[in-house]
Amino acid sequence: MERVLERSGGIFNALYPAVVVAALAFTMIVIAYGMESVAPGVHDAFHDFRHVIGMPCH
Amino acid sequence: MSINWKSGITAGVLAGVIWGWLSMGLNSITGVVEFEGSFAHNFMSFTFGGAVFGILVGGLMAIGGSLIPFRNVLARAVFTSTLMWLVIRFGGTILSVMKPTRYNVLTPETMQGLFLAIVLGGVLAMLLKKNMKEAD
Repeated sequence: MERVLERSGGIFNALYPAVVVAALAFTMIVIAYGMESVAPGVHDAFHDFRHVIGMPCH
Repeated sequence: MSINWKSGITAGVLAGVIWGWLSMGLNSITGVVEFEGSFAHNFMSFTFGGAVFGILVGGLMAIGGSLIPFRNVLARAVFTSTLMWLVIRFGGTILSVMKPTRYNVLTPETMQGLFLAIVLGGVLAMLLKKNMKEAD
């Protein structure tokens, strides 16, 4: 039982770096830069947020 | 003092959500940006966007470990959030140079963003300290 719990904890621990990498990619592509060429429609989704936190936009 | 992944990310989500609402409130007071979206749309985007930023800062604090040149939680959190903002903002500057018509750089927004990055570090530090006290 302990081994199973230890193993599942290990899986979750391995997921945390992946969550951070995904957050970084999402932050840069969608939130901060609103790259329509990468993800169509993302510009408007976070437009006001992008301006408020000081990221360049049009 | 180092934090683990779980506490960094969970505190980061909550700190980010609070920070998103604070950002919305602060901008309503300063009037630096005239909101184009509806309140409901902005409430969702500031909440979600803030949470993602919070995850990023909390996670980077966990990754940073001994690389972050401070021992105090507040100093570590503010350093991480400000550095992260500066790096992302630097990327925005490069994009602005490449496509000046698409990416406009505005000084008041930049100053507000830098201030908010410091605020995010402060909120995250408060939550991390609270979690540490509860754990003791």
